[in-house]
Amino acid sequence: MQSGPFTQRTYRKLTSHCICLWLVLCITRFGWGQNSTVCTDSLTGQIQGQDTRQRSEKLALVGATVYVREVGKGAVADSNGYFRLTGLCPGTYTLDYQFIGYKKQTRSIRLPLADPTSSSVTLLSENVTLNEVTVTEHRSEAQQLLQTQVSLSGAALDQTRGQSLGESLKSLAGLYSIQTGPSISKPVIHGLYSNRIIILNNGIRQEDQQWGTEHAPQVDQFLASRLTVIKGAASIRYGSDAIGGVILVEPKAMPTQPGIGGEVNVVGATNGGMGVASGMLEGAFSRTRPGKKLTGLSWRLQGTIKRSGYVRTPYYFLENTSYHENNFSGDIHYDHKNWGAEVFYSQFDTKIGLFTGAQVGSLADLYAAISRPEPLAQPGFSYALNRPYQDVQHDLLKIRTYWRFKNESTLTATFARQKNTRREYDFISFSGALNPELYLRLITHTTDLIWEHRDIKTTNSGQWSGSVGFNGITQGNVRQYLFLIPNFRNYGAGLFGIERYAVGRWTLEAGLRYDYRWLRAYFLNEATTQTYFTTHNWQNANGSLGAAYQLRPDLTLTANVSTAWRAPNVADLYSNGLHQSAVAYERGNPNLQPEQAYNGNLVLAYTGHRLSGEVGIYNNLIHNYIYLKPDSVPVIRQRGAFPSYSYAQVQARFRGIDATLTYKLTSQLTLTTKNSLLFAYNQTDRDYLVFIPPNRSDNSLRYDWARLGRLSNLYVSVSGLYVARQNRAPAVTSRQENGDVIFTGDFAPPPPAYFLLGAELGFAAKVGRQSMSVILTGSNLANVDYRDYLNRFRYFADEPGRNISLKVRVPF
Amino acid sequence: MQSIRTALWTVLAVSFLAGACKNDEQNVAPTDDNEALTTAILSLTNTANAQDVVTATIENLNTTADFTKATLNLKANATYSGAVQLYDKTQTPTLDATTEIREKANEHLFVYTPSAANLLTVTITDKDSNPTPGPYPIGLAFTLKAGVAAMGKLKVQLRHQPNAKNGTSAPGSDDLNVDFPVTII
Repeated sequence: MQSGPFTQRTYRKLTSHCICLWLVLCITRFGWGQNSTVCTDSLTGQIQGQDTRQRSEKLALVGATVYVREVGKGAVADSNGYFRLTGLCPGTYTLDYQFIGYKKQTRSIRLPLADPTSSSVTLLSENVTLNEVTVTEHRSEAQQLLQTQVSLSGAALDQTRGQSLGESLKSLAGLYSIQTGPSISKPVIHGLYSNRIIILNNGIRQEDQQWGTEHAPQVDQFLASRLTVIKGAASIRYGSDAIGGVILVEPKAMPTQPGIGGEVNVVGATNGGMGVASGMLEGAFSRTRPGKKLTGLSWRLQGTIKRSGYVRTPYYFLENTSYHENNFSGDIHYDHKNWGAEVFYSQFDTKIGLFTGAQVGSLADLYAAISRPEPLAQPGFSYALNRPYQDVQHDLLKIRTYWRFKNESTLTATFARQKNTRREYDFISFSGALNPELYLRLITHTTDLIWEHRDIKTTNSGQWSGSVGFNGITQGNVRQYLFLIPNFRNYGAGLFGIERYAVGRWTLEAGLRYDYRWLRAYFLNEATTQTYFTTHNWQNANGSLGAAYQLRPDLTLTANVSTAWRAPNVADLYSNGLHQSAVAYERGNPNLQPEQAYNGNLVLAYTGHRLSGEVGIYNNLIHNYIYLKPDSVPVIRQRGAFPSYSYAQVQARFRGIDATLTYKLTSQLTLTTKNSLLFAYNQTDRDYLVFIPPNRSDNSLRYDWARLGRLSNLYVSVSGLYVARQNRAPAVTSRQENGDVIFTGDFAPPPPAYFLLGAELGFAAKVGRQSMSVILTGSNLANVDYRDYLNRFRYFADEPGRNISLKVRVPF
Repeated sequence: MQSIRTALWTVLAVSFLAGACKNDEQNVAPTDDNEALTTAILSLTNTANAQDVVTATIENLNTTADFTKATLNLKANATYSGAVQLYDKTQTPTLDATTEIREKANEHLFVYTPSAANLLTVTITDKDSNPTPGPYPIGLAFTLKAGVAAMGKLKVQLRHQPNAKNGTSAPGSDDLNVDFPVTII
């Protein structure tokens, strides 16, 4: 991932609210803003800074922001301090000028400008201590939390368009992905994945059978204008289970200016012959003329279609790795003076081909496949998609309302219904069956009620802010065909409160949460055809404490300690069957206890003129960590002997370092380094844990031109990604069992380290009156053959080879 | 205030309506495997004596395999003509998978591997209809020549080799991979 000077830094929520504002503005700057079709006025100006003590030299404030209150859009000053805002209607506007370390200025202007210089300002430096830790409406609720977080938005997010959620997030320090072939990718935060992280899709907790390692999140990446990742236990606000972290997929704000706008995204890639098209259309009705009907109403329609064929490794194609995706969503908002409502519906529909060469019938097949350097079947390119494949639909209906009371507190009520239908079709041999081998339908209802109290100022110029809330969830699961997990019904309820106190250089945060979970699983006694059930319930209270201290205006230290828990899920408790793709027989354990995590982290963030970045360390201790432990006796089925695993619990420790640093060599040349180190250990068995991401270093060099000929925001970058060999993995051991060789720990040792070369070129251009942005990306340019430890198909084939992709975005 | 109340009641009403549970999960569907093989039978007829028929059966292959009737009791140095039968008894009526495999013979191959080379030799006698360089063996019918008195095992594999059958066992994946105990006296 190569990112530009405006987005490459990871932003500490604490440094200053203007940084957060800056991010929002970046999005607009790169063309995400809603453009009216009628208004074409533009506004330019310069933002300069002056030291109040010396009163001498004025400096251009690179990265200072200007924000137009009335239309909710803004711009960022370039290397000479100049900014440009387009698509404005004639009228009177209020502009907020901000830059970290300088006093904010607000100015009222009238368009068209009578005096062209009236939009330029000189900000005065603040020599007093920064009291930046105030909540503004430009910051989302998640960003207010003191927990360690990173995000992807604006140009940095655009660079990942066309990729899956798991792949996109891999560009952030501390994030990895666990894969099943090239088409299934699940995000991993600090070594934890599946049920241990929560994905909030448009504010709704995504429930899509996420316990499965080969179940990718069903989220349309084009819906997001920002991906935020909270690293570390974030249960207090977002619910139990979030031992590893939370991923927020946040759509862009609804339009406020009257008129219709939208954008079209097109992505094409050479490897796999991938094509993606995504379109968005949105509009708002006039707000400025009261009395007019439909005032405050806005809407958005969005859809994505994606097709990909066989992916190619450096030397061969991967048979049946085709991918289909069709998504659409619609959103209607209504905002009145002190209340508003939203209805959102989305459907995600995907068909994912699984690599045929990884389909093994028996352990003997698996060993034969591992010992082969290349897959036996190496067909030519095709878009064909046959068995084995997954066919998954995810529907989401969300209804949200809010009220802002006279005392400035806000109450938000959200209801959502999700339906996830998963069909998995295995390879079939002789039956000609049309049915899937696995059918799971999960219906989830969630209700959230959040009350944010008004900000309370104290006499010592401190400020209290906070919220209390209730989360409710119920799920019903129905299965058919093969047994993997049982039918079940569950209920969950949680109550939480979070308070934040900011004074002087300090911000303190404390949270408390109580959860109750109830689970009933239904089984069939096949002999008597009687249904029977078993019931579990759990409850738990957790808390968190955080503190941030501004050592200097450009240096912030944040510390957090939190606890979190996760009740065993139905797969941990009751799975019972042959996991064909893992060539393993997996047995649930109904006696499992909830996992309890104790998470601490410390982050130092620096925002200097040349150097910026953050370094964080974390330690996550998990009691009763649930994992699959190899059994001593294999299971014998029609396809031979299979290693058998049962869910067991140990005490596990995950600790590591994330470091992201950016250094401006010159005003145009930037060096970025992102490093993720992770050390995980099974303390009970004094052994390493399997499937832990290896250490990684991602370095890039980028050169920017603000303007070159007819092109603007032009950049080129080269990057090198180094992924070390995972030397901290359980030893692969083998033994004879009735003539069969049974491996434990893993089937093969971790693959060697690898280095990938990438390059990127991006610019914005105007074709006629139409602006567009173009990004050309090359990955694995040296066409290196390598295997990744976190890919479950690494036993069978190499990772994809060279890929050149072109991303074009046309806003209108 | 009126609008707030209206909105609140609307949300609550929709929540409860949409949240009305149908309790579908209480009707549990039986486990159903499209391609379960419960039973594998080897039938051997002594070519010198048609009355001498040896049958070995493995039952419950899809759950806990039952090997109590699985032993092949052969006579030393005798030659047998053999056939393999596969059934899915989870279906009603019982499904004869052998027929289906015969219909798709061009992508299936039975592989017979004795635990020791001198235990016995198996020669496949049937052929599929694959075009040149085929046809290739199928393995539904075979001759088995027992060696001298010994004990061992005969591994029976059914290889599924769609678009890849080449007469060897390497391509494709196992549909069946079981060991029949062998006693030669």
